[in-house]
Amino acid sequence: MAYGTSDAHGSHDHHPSGWKRWAYSTNHKDIGTMYLVLAAIGGLVGGLMSWLIRLELSQPGLQYITDLQFYNVLVSAHGLIMVFFFVMPALIGGFGNWIVPLMIGAPDMAFPRMNNISFWLTAGGLVLLLTAGFTAGGPGTGWTVYPPLSSNEYHPGPAVDLAILSLHVGGAGSILGAINFIVTIINMRAPGMTMHRMPLFVWATLVTAFLLVLAMPVLAGGLTMLLTDRNFGTTFFKVAGGGDPILWQHLFWFFGHPEVYIMIIPAFGIVSQIVSTFSRKPVFGYLGMAYAMAAIGVIGFVVWAHHMYSVGLDVNTRAYFVAATMVIAVPTGIKIFSWIATMWGGSIRFDTPMLWACGFIFLFVLGGVTGIQLANAGPDMAWHDTYYVVAHFHYVLSLGAVFGIFGGFYYWFGKMCGRQYSEAAGRVHFWLTFFGVNLLFFPQHFLGMAGMPRRIPDYPDAYSGWNMVSSLGAVVTIVGTLWFLWLVFRTFTAGEKAAANPWGPGATTLEWTVPSPAPFHTFEETPRIAPEPAH
Amino acid sequence: MIDARRNFATAALLFGTAAGMAGLAYASVPLYRLFCQVTGYGGTTQVSGQAPGAVAGRTVTVRFDANVARDLPWRFEPEVSAIKVAVGENVLAYYRARNISDVPVTGTATFNVTPHKAGPFFAKIECFCFAEQTLAPGEEMNMPVSFFIDPEILERPEAKDIGEITLSYTFFRAIPANRS
Repeated sequence: MAYGTSDAHGSHDHHPSGWKRWAYSTNHKDIGTMYLVLAAIGGLVGGLMSWLIRLELSQPGLQYITDLQFYNVLVSAHGLIMVFFFVMPALIGGFGNWIVPLMIGAPDMAFPRMNNISFWLTAGGLVLLLTAGFTAGGPGTGWTVYPPLSSNEYHPGPAVDLAILSLHVGGAGSILGAINFIVTIINMRAPGMTMHRMPLFVWATLVTAFLLVLAMPVLAGGLTMLLTDRNFGTTFFKVAGGGDPILWQHLFWFFGHPEVYIMIIPAFGIVSQIVSTFSRKPVFGYLGMAYAMAAIGVIGFVVWAHHMYSVGLDVNTRAYFVAATMVIAVPTGIKIFSWIATMWGGSIRFDTPMLWACGFIFLFVLGGVTGIQLANAGPDMAWHDTYYVVAHFHYVLSLGAVFGIFGGFYYWFGKMCGRQYSEAAGRVHFWLTFFGVNLLFFPQHFLGMAGMPRRIPDYPDAYSGWNMVSSLGAVVTIVGTLWFLWLVFRTFTAGEKAAANPWGPGATTLEWTVPSPAPFHTFEETPRIAPEPAH
Repeated sequence: MIDARRNFATAALLFGTAAGMAGLAYASVPLYRLFCQVTGYGGTTQVSGQAPGAVAGRTVTVRFDANVARDLPWRFEPEVSAIKVAVGENVLAYYRARNISDVPVTGTATFNVTPHKAGPFFAKIECFCFAEQTLAPGEEMNMPVSFFIDPEILERPEAKDIGEITLSYTFFRAIPANRS
């Protein structure tokens, strides 16, 4: 600011190069790219773990994994890594950083240096978690870290402490990132872009960021109690000292339920952009779509105990949580119907991003329906901790959120790297994955209905058939993942140059007005938003 | 376009919100305790200074339940399994505890009543569960609890069907770090 205008311009062109460009980065696009790379690493590591789990579960008996604590560690680390170091960095850190400033016409995030520390805290969290896995038998607590299993009585070594620290550090990174997003979206929109004209992906990021600011600190508080219980003799979760292990479950799920919306709402936003673009229509019921996300966020904070029906809640409490949980189906239904209404009468093109978006809608509805079933306290007594629950949350997260990630990837990859992927290869990736994950997770409904418990490496012979089918589905997704890696490699080495807007007149948001790849600095001159209805 | 002051103000507000939520996580412990004491939620019993004296109208059967945590080397049982109590009457009941190990052991008891909705009407005047108890090796002790049923139980419609209340205790080994 103190320099002359021309000097300021000059210094902008000489951005740091080499490793300093990345390690010291304050550029939202570079930080977004780093988040996406981190998510790719997290996704591959977490995916590898899930494939090991499916390998062991392909047959009854213990064949590949005989160290049962190691199996527990695999299950726990798979959950934690996928949630905190794959889905969140990809959707929020990755696409959020890359696209939100572009969509609102801002030159960068509000606090670029805080953006940098957010990323490195998250990356440090992943390193700590992986370290925990190799320390003192590893944390075999499940991603829910319930005491007494996570207490020093059953996990005496430093593994659980390291895992707690990992979540602390990663959580701090998420909170800082969320604050950055809120400040950016509220204060730095281009003139003319009112709140009610923001693209829905920006709305989704805003709602997600608020959920993070409100929910993450509660997890941090609970984790600190667990840490002091383990190391400093407090008794928050120990009955003998007047504490209660159920308190942990309340605190964890007060965070944990908003957390599942933190993972899915950004995917809602991406799907809205894609459906609108490839139907060549503005989103149907824009305001309803925006406020449905806000409503899902608000209700998400008052339904947490539906994860705990079996702890002995009295019947009135359960009745409340059943009713409150069912209410979420209303705003969710608004979103589903609005997506379909957007497609209705549109001139639809089923390019790769649109395939992923349609796959998302189909799978999310399926997972949502089992969610409604599980919301009932009565039947949930039978389904609690069975593979039915596993199938449910993998349909909404592993298939829902991940399909959102891939949709966003194919939608924006050309904008990010400047090269367009092969459309045919993208479609093959979609169909391989769609077939694979359904083969993987659909049979788990049957296993859960039949009573197979989750997190157990062995099972009676009666469950062997569908387990084998499920494991074969995992093999198909491995092929799909390898295909995807090859596709990314081919795009970088031989992809065609991407146009500024490869999607035609349906793509109306601001990121398509800048060249591909997006230059290092964009919107240094604030764009003016023409007065037309928002998409 | 970039209004730094406004950005910092918004960020400060959000940092405050995050800190407040972390504080709420801790406040949940005393708040929940307060909530249970006030409402009798989960069968939390009340503490009172003096019994009003027996009133006519109803007798309630009070059952006594005793449990011991696995790592506590005690025998613990009620003197009688149940008594009939007039509403408002001051009752003194005893549990018997014996240390069956050869070292002194300190225990602490948690408690509640079922049905849970009886919590607001079950008032204790004095109880062994208010403090930690230490038993010498082989020592046996009578542990008293003095209580009454609040006459309000006769007036409240939701308490009309309470004919039987189970008073339950579970003894745990007291945690040394907590004994100050």
